[in-house]
Amino acid sequence: MLYREAGQFKTTYAADQQLFPIRQDRIGLLLLLAVAFVGVPVLASEYWFSAILIPFLIFSLAALGLNILTGYAGQLSLGTAAFMAVGAYAAYNFQLRVEGIPILVSFICAGLTAAAVGILFGLPSLRIKGFYLAVATLAAQFFIVWCLTKFPWLSNHSSSGVISAQDIVIMGFNFDTPVSKYLLVLAIVSVMALAAKNLVRSSTGRAWMAVRDMDVAASVIGIKLMPTKLLAFAVSSFYCGVAGALYAFCYLGSVEPDGFSLDMSFKILFMIIIGGVGSILGCFLGAAFILLLPIFLDFTLPGVAELFGLPFSNATVSHIQILIFGALIMFFLIVEPHGLARLWQIAKEKLRLWPFPH
Amino acid sequence: MSKKIGDVILDLQNISLRFGGVKALTDISFNVREHEIRAIIGPNGAGKSSMLNVINGVYHPQEGKIFWRGKERKRMEPHMAAQQNIARTFQNIALFKGMSVLDNIMTGRMTKMKANFIEHALWFGRAKSEELAHRRKVEEVIDFLEIQHIRKTPVGRLPYGLQKRVELGRALAAEPSMLLLDEPMAGMNVEEKQDMCRFILDVNDQFGTTIVLIEHDMGVVMDISDRVVVLDYGKKIGDGEPEEVKNNEEVIKAYLGAGH
Repeated sequence: MLYREAGQFKTTYAADQQLFPIRQDRIGLLLLLAVAFVGVPVLASEYWFSAILIPFLIFSLAALGLNILTGYAGQLSLGTAAFMAVGAYAAYNFQLRVEGIPILVSFICAGLTAAAVGILFGLPSLRIKGFYLAVATLAAQFFIVWCLTKFPWLSNHSSSGVISAQDIVIMGFNFDTPVSKYLLVLAIVSVMALAAKNLVRSSTGRAWMAVRDMDVAASVIGIKLMPTKLLAFAVSSFYCGVAGALYAFCYLGSVEPDGFSLDMSFKILFMIIIGGVGSILGCFLGAAFILLLPIFLDFTLPGVAELFGLPFSNATVSHIQILIFGALIMFFLIVEPHGLARLWQIAKEKLRLWPFPH
Repeated sequence: MSKKIGDVILDLQNISLRFGGVKALTDISFNVREHEIRAIIGPNGAGKSSMLNVINGVYHPQEGKIFWRGKERKRMEPHMAAQQNIARTFQNIALFKGMSVLDNIMTGRMTKMKANFIEHALWFGRAKSEELAHRRKVEEVIDFLEIQHIRKTPVGRLPYGLQKRVELGRALAAEPSMLLLDEPMAGMNVEEKQDMCRFILDVNDQFGTTIVLIEHDMGVVMDISDRVVVLDYGKKIGDGEPEEVKNNEEVIKAYLGAGH
């Protein structure tokens, strides 16, 4: 009943093409932002910020980057974590070596460095597609991690390539508490999510989707395949690079090259598959699912076991947790192969017609 | 119907195309005049689609010359055909399945949009105004093809006939001076065919678009085209007005078989 668009008439194309054409969506998003920016900082505990909310936002951003490349432009990549590593190490080096550079500028430069590396490893996409391209991006994954351990200059000659992120100071304010870091990350992620949404609804996004869906037809229409694909690699890597910088500066504090492993790339890939390939909302849903579900199971399983009087050891609980996690992934993929975002969309369509079936 | 047929705008001279040892096209010459509807017919495997692919730069013939508006055309890539205002549809529908009808047709105007991706990301400067201006043009195409009711539907969900119509819309959105249609009526029922014929004739009539089409339905071809080229085994066996072609001995032989 609440979710109806009846009576909301669009009389201009501008009104029809706005980001959220349905009024309830706009109100909902504003409420969500208000809660995230005001409500959460007041209510949540330190543990929530540093163990749940900050990594959730950072992985959402990385998933956003991968989704631009894989979901919108159709180029499968397994190098996400490597591009994040480039971002993290680039931000560290810009802070270290450029005198007086503002931290936000370092983050942007980190993104740009990752974008440049992304373009380089995107070059094979001009000749190969699909799984073969995924294997080519795997090269990025291994090569970049190898580079970061091999050349000590990149980690300022620290042992085994570990870097400790510098303090985050913006206009004299030191972002050293979890709350302030959370707000910084939230602000950056919000702005970049908005930019991504704008990109994919414009002709840049349409060019990406055209290349994804039918590249021959796209080129006949006048879309140049090479710049379009490389732009997707660049923008995607930019997002991953910034996510990597935030991962080092706002989440862990110190990172090592091996932390950005293939495992992490796969984790982000699973996020977009579960969340919804080709959906901005899906990145957030997927990140929430992959990151929060294990924590949730951690909390609830011992309680459930106790309830039934089952003598579970800690090891058993963690095995069962993995089992349930896997089963849930399969369940969601079978119920809706297009991900949680699609489920949400179907729910909305149903709500609009409720209580009528059609 | 009194329409003005203009000068030759596309002239193909002695085109030969080979794929390894397979000769797809052998020494084919014909021309297309402005504002006419030019049909290419022939049995399966005659090289009709290859011919279209040569015209818009997907294939590069080994021999022969192509003159576009009096100038010899160098080797070109498909996206350059779009810049020269040549649009096309495909035999197997080549729509962008994940996008809505509106977005599909908007892609047809891609070459006319100038804003870069930074403007798009920030929704700043030309990005917004361009989007609205082109939306207006696209809505005209949507009105013309009578598909207003499905503009927000993902094309994957549409029936075949409508998908063909959306594909025509995407080509029309580019406001092409020449439109290449590869079997626009294949697999359609009579009613859908009539609609499609009407749209093709209207496009030709209202916008003066030159049309080159491949079609198997001889009734349609003979009714709507001004001149017909007949190919068989990669060679040209007939060329002329529908009446002429219909009575051409060789054409009859190719279609009915030599034994009859």
